[in-house]
Amino acid sequence: MITLQTFFQEARAGRLTGIRCRQCSELAIPPKEFCPSCHQRAWEAVPLAGHGTIASFTVIRVAPRGRTAEAPYAVAVVKLAEGVSLLGRVIDIPFDSLRIGLPVRFRPLLTADRTVVGFGPA
Amino acid sequence: MRRVGVIGVGVTPFGKHERSSAELFAEAAAEALDDAGLAPTAIQAIYFGNVVGGPAERQLHMGPQAASILGLPWVPTTRFETACATSHAAFRHAVMEVASGTSDVVLVGGAERVLDIPTETATELFAYASDAAFEQPAGLTVPGVFALIARAHMAKYGTTEEQMAHVAVKNHRHGALNPKAQFRKEITLEQVLASPRIADPLKLYDCCPFTDGGAAVLLASEEAARRSRRPVWVLASAAASDAMCLHDKKDLTRALATERAAQTAYRQAGLGPKDVDVVELHDCFTIAEIVATEGLGLFEPGTGGTAAEKGWTSLGGKLPVNPSGGLKAKGHPIGATGAAQIAEIVTQLRGEAGPRQVEGARIGLAHTLGGNTATVLVSLFGLE
Ligand SMILES: [Zn+2]
Repeated sequence: MITLQTFFQEARAGRLTGIRCRQCSELAIPPKEFCPSCHQRAWEAVPLAGHGTIASFTVIRVAPRGRTAEAPYAVAVVKLAEGVSLLGRVIDIPFDSLRIGLPVRFRPLLTADRTVVGFGPA
Repeated sequence: MRRVGVIGVGVTPFGKHERSSAELFAEAAAEALDDAGLAPTAIQAIYFGNVVGGPAERQLHMGPQAASILGLPWVPTTRFETACATSHAAFRHAVMEVASGTSDVVLVGGAERVLDIPTETATELFAYASDAAFEQPAGLTVPGVFALIARAHMAKYGTTEEQMAHVAVKNHRHGALNPKAQFRKEITLEQVLASPRIADPLKLYDCCPFTDGGAAVLLASEEAARRSRRPVWVLASAAASDAMCLHDKKDLTRALATERAAQTAYRQAGLGPKDVDVVELHDCFTIAEIVATEGLGLFEPGTGGTAAEKGWTSLGGKLPVNPSGGLKAKGHPIGATGAAQIAEIVTQLRGEAGPRQVEGARIGLAHTLGGNTATVLVSLFGLE
């Protein structure tokens, strides 16, 4: 079972982990107890390569408390090569070159106590 | 199950208040009791909605607090939270309490107070409605959620920033006619397009404001409602969900929870989208109104932007949407919004909406969406 904790421990080390249903082959991002497709409980961990393309993106200019110093910053939903999507912060890509379909690559964004999913240039 | 009628509605003015959420709800409840011609002691249960009162007001347990302010400290209360759909979720459960025969008269509604905290703090508290592991750490805000939806809708259907701006212009035009609205001034397309960017492609005037306010609805069993002077009947009340994380949603251009809740509500009522005369829907952002009109079956997928642009959703258009001014101009006190939308539909069906009246409206629909589109409530109302 891949918990949120193990997902982010792995992500911190640069490894993305998905889960695949042994019953129906559905691929998902953890945490999931039951398969949303066949409702079985037969997950196995599968490594995700971290390559994908931007499905949608935004540049956030009014940020929440604690993140105002980081604004403006971009957030994207990325469709991974394996077929699942993952949301994360966009890193090191100029705002004016962001577009739907742009290839990107997973890169964790690390602070002392936190791991954030990030995507940088492919 | 018994039929359920709405016998009274009350809404505080929306905007800045110096009163607590529980006080605001009590003020709205007093107006609803007055509207129904009932004494407070008729109330047998209270269903109350509030979202960020914990961190914003350091107050949980607002149900009994509101009951105490109403002089009814013995009445059972329950607090609901489904992000921005909170008081509409409370409404659905209150309907079930009356329909089941448990109570004959139930008070339902909600309140929110956030204008006394800084904008970045309110932005953080509202973002708690997004996923705490993936979305909040990435810095996703609620405007950011709808910006991602807007960009996907623009790419798939060719929806434009101008079409989204038309939604804002229309809802401000309606809000100018509503004495309870937070913004009672018309705005131009140019003002919307030139307003500061919040989360691209959404600009300030694509976004509803932060708002303080309360709203209340009194429900009664058919027998009790028949004694009231002008009951409006609850024809359906349905809830649905979608995946919590944006990245788990199958299609960013659709609100699946809206489609599911609408289908259930239409089936309960034996009605379809063509039967609806007036709609109050969740326009927290201009793109949200466009996606909702499509998900409710009012317009074909991809044509919600055209509907706004052509004036189909304006007062006087083929299907007026948000005659109250919507969340955009009326304001969005998140815990009160669903009940306030229902209050507007009831007012419209009674023919008491004054200059913003939709002439001859007999069937009304209220649609409320929670936060990141993972919760939606749809209710239908009629005169018979
Ligand atoms: Zn499966």
